[in-house]
Amino acid sequence: MAYVERIPAAALREEPSRSCSVTGLRVYSGAQALTLANAVAAVLALAAGGLYGGLISLTRAPSLELLSPDWFYISLTGHGVGALILWPVFFEVAAMVFASTVLLNARVWSMTLGWTAFALMVTGAVMLNAVILSGHASVTFTAYPPLVANQAFYLGYLIFAVGTLLAIVNFAFSIAAARAEGAFEGSLPLLTYGVACAAILALLSLASGLIALIPAWFYSLGWIGFIEPIVYRGWFWGLGHTLQYVNVVAMVVAWYGIAALTLRSGPVNQKFTRIAFILYLLLTVPVLGHHFLVDPALGTEVKLVGGTLMGFALGVPSLMHGLAVMGGVESEMRKRGATGLFGWLKKLKWGHAGVASLAGSLLLFAIGGWSGTAETTLPLNMVSHNTMWVPAHIHAVVVGGTTLAFMGFAYLLVPLLVRRELWSQKWAGIQAWTYFGGLLLMVLAQSWAGTLGVPRRTARIDYAGEAPGGWDLPMNIAGVGATIAGLAGGLFVVIMVMTLLAGKKTDVAHELVPSGTR
Amino acid sequence: MTSLQESSVSPQPPGWARRIPRDERLFMWIVIASVAAMSAFVIGWLAWGNQNVPTASYATSPDEFSAQVAAFAEKYTGEDGLVHVPPGQDAYVLAARYTFFPELVLKANVKYRIWISSADTLHGFSIVGGNQNINLEIAPNHAYGVTLTPEKPGTYLVVCNEYCGLGHHAMRGRITVER
Repeated sequence: MAYVERIPAAALREEPSRSCSVTGLRVYSGAQALTLANAVAAVLALAAGGLYGGLISLTRAPSLELLSPDWFYISLTGHGVGALILWPVFFEVAAMVFASTVLLNARVWSMTLGWTAFALMVTGAVMLNAVILSGHASVTFTAYPPLVANQAFYLGYLIFAVGTLLAIVNFAFSIAAARAEGAFEGSLPLLTYGVACAAILALLSLASGLIALIPAWFYSLGWIGFIEPIVYRGWFWGLGHTLQYVNVVAMVVAWYGIAALTLRSGPVNQKFTRIAFILYLLLTVPVLGHHFLVDPALGTEVKLVGGTLMGFALGVPSLMHGLAVMGGVESEMRKRGATGLFGWLKKLKWGHAGVASLAGSLLLFAIGGWSGTAETTLPLNMVSHNTMWVPAHIHAVVVGGTTLAFMGFAYLLVPLLVRRELWSQKWAGIQAWTYFGGLLLMVLAQSWAGTLGVPRRTARIDYAGEAPGGWDLPMNIAGVGATIAGLAGGLFVVIMVMTLLAGKKTDVAHELVPSGTR
Repeated sequence: MTSLQESSVSPQPPGWARRIPRDERLFMWIVIASVAAMSAFVIGWLAWGNQNVPTASYATSPDEFSAQVAAFAEKYTGEDGLVHVPPGQDAYVLAARYTFFPELVLKANVKYRIWISSADTLHGFSIVGGNQNINLEIAPNHAYGVTLTPEKPGTYLVVCNEYCGLGHHAMRGRITVER
């Protein structure tokens, strides 16, 4: 092994720690506090973003049309920012802290840096929510020029981005420091390896975002007079699409985390899995081309290679992880005595929140991955661009895939960190299945609406009575699905809050992390 | 859970040097073959298929393109106030908050090229009437040319599907096809 300088024990700062009764890992108090702070911020961001989402769906149901157009566009912006940026990124930072400390039996490299990052992210999040609610930033989370918002919008994004960047720096140095003090030997644990891939993608994403948003901020201040929209979109989607893959990689990490804690399963093969993580790093960035498939001024070669062909290739690592997770679970269940082709499925406790969220996430992500692959082909993109087919895909992968997996992982991680039993195991299972069911209904209805041509991101679809017949029904059904999912999302927030405040204090393994197998 | 633990019992080559098990290697070949097949289809469609994404485009400006649209509309406006496009003539449509101008009348079974650009923000040009579903992104400073042959007479609703401001949901236009 290469020479690594060891830090003498006397040089390390004093910090209280405990040994986890379930995993045996060393949990330093700073790491625990910073992980939890980011997780709590994530859940609050989800609550706000999810609330906006519920209001949106009830407005887009033609039978209800709940919000006025002005309030709809406020909610649309708040939903995109809160649910697509703030919730996942806060959760990913919590995962970064956890993966670079607790999983490595180590401390956070710098608590000052960690809390500074957190403070900046919270400041940015609050600024964004405040300016959006004021009505001066109804530009949707993409904010394509020449649409322009109050400068606090761009500043909020930038401050949040800088905070995230500092968190990534802390993550990298925590791992290096853990290695130097000998806290762990050999390869990084799989979860940390995955989170590291997510962190690298996040760096690329943030760099692109800064290039998009700093000029946009100057534009909002009047310091520059013009931004070419297609160029802005290029840099913005360098941020935006890459960030989606941070969410995918983090979702996959959550899958392995749930499989490990709930089902005591690992991936079917470590080399296969780690190669799949690396493929994300190699293939993600060019695929931002799929946002430009029906844009003027760009050649077919760019669209074909960046959008379609690389997009197909990017499906490969996701398929590999799907196999690795499910194969690993099957392998473990067979070791425990399951027989026959599908007997291993019968060994799982389907009412368990971890099992429910893992299975639901895998299935919804598969559906969304399929619809994304379809719409990234050039001819099908022309048929689906900016129709409801696109949000159907987005919600299947980000909400069904990432969010449901994060919820499942939170159900296991939070009790371990706070050493309190989940407020209700039964309701957590019900929550996961209800969320899955509501989302499935919503996504299928939205896809149906998309094939009929119903536009996305719009407050009304009657078009003075000229809209094609048949548009209302799928949008009303989508509203029903979204309401079911929204209520289940609210239940998740309630369970998390109640666990933190009133969960039964315990150190017993099967109470903190109940088994998902019979 | 198995291969890493084995290494504590007997000497093993490092993880990256070991072979991936047969099942996973078979899976990889199936996946790669699928990606190759889908890629072949997409390239084949581009080469030999019908209904491909338009590629014609030229640089312009909101003022320049608006002038082109105005001149075109004036020349071909009929008594009904709609713009009747003769066969062989390129059509010009301006997307501007919150309408598509002008309303075109096309002849069925004639090939037309329609140039579209924006006077202000990004817009979406989405032909949704009559079970059509053609969607294009429209930007200022670029004109996008779609070549199409309308077949069935009727009136086709066009909506904007790229968020362009607080009146976005009202933004629409029309294309009429007559015999």
